Amino acid sequence: MPDTDTMTTADTKPRTCTLPDADSARSQITQIIERGEVRHYQSRYAITDRAIGALTDVLGDANPIYTDDVAARAAGHPGIVAPATSLQVWAMNRLDEQLPPSPVDRAYQILQANGFTSVVAVNGDQTYDRYLRPEDRLHSEERVESISELKHTGLGEGLFITTLITFLDEADEQVGTMRFRTLWYAPRTQPDTITEA
Amino acid sequence: MTTTLPPLSIPVTATLVAGGALATHDYSLVHHDRQAALAAGTRDIFMNILTTTGLVGRYVTDWGGPRVRLSSVSIRLGHPVHPGDTLTFAGEVTEYDEATRQATITVTADTDGGQHASGAVVAVLPEDIQDAPAPTTHDKEESR
Repeated sequence: MPDTDTMTTADTKPRTCTLPDADSARSQITQIIERGEVRHYQSRYAITDRAIGALTDVLGDANPIYTDDVAARAAGHPGIVAPATSLQVWAMNRLDEQLPPSPVDRAYQILQANGFTSVVAVNGDQTYDRYLRPEDRLHSEERVESISELKHTGLGEGLFITTLITFLDEADEQVGTMRFRTLWYAPRTQPDTITEA
Repeated sequence: MTTTLPPLSIPVTATLVAGGALATHDYSLVHHDRQAALAAGTRDIFMNILTTTGLVGRYVTDWGGPRVRLSSVSIRLGHPVHPGDTLTFAGEVTEYDEATRQATITVTADTDGGQHASGAVVAVLPEDIQDAPAPTTHDKEESR
């Protein structure tokens, strides 16, 4: 999974004095994209009504199609469904699960090693091919989709990187996609003065 | 004419932030461990993106009802949200096609400190929606 948690500009690695090298970062990441590198992830568990209910309870979402079979059928579903926005939840790795390195992780390391030491999340875009149901068990394919030219932003000089996760069901049919765009930048300010984005 | 969604204010609690992170299977410390969040330079634990996305979806179906079908959600991220904040949602239907009943709904989620998220939800609305939006008139269609 990409790190979907960096809504602040907290540094992720000890700072070095390396000057940012956009050309080097771009060329290495372009190779990852051109080689079509992908990490496959298979979720161990199927979606359950309990997991759906735990999520909708905490969100305060009273839409009955998530909990009531009759209401879900009345709304045109075969039975209760998971919220569309929970797509990515069902292919999150388990706590402390050891995963093989992903091309996305490698690309993020390349950005850090080339002086783009700080990160801020910019966009998250999901598309849904169908509603997911209990018993659906997802697998996913995660790749780097694009890397921008060097941009001059309010935070500093940086590169925008877009990652793509494709989610599939057990019949290998695509059920949705998630694109995640982050800005990796060389901060203009001192580390101890960085504030929340 | 645009259709405006009723606003929704959600008090942000530690339960919502930490519970949302765990219910979305996101165990990053900054969402449930205050010490770790402070060490990362933020003032408290903060909401993870999947919880934000879930609340955006809830906001649209709270308005449109159980027969709304979401097709996509695009979110632009801003200020982090911490326990004690109030998250206020606003939205409006900016595009609507009567033939397919597909609507684009722009949504903002604001805190006192600034905008937490803004985005667009594409959804197919039910035939019997009470607050049916006026169809969008595109310039292209007008000039035909």
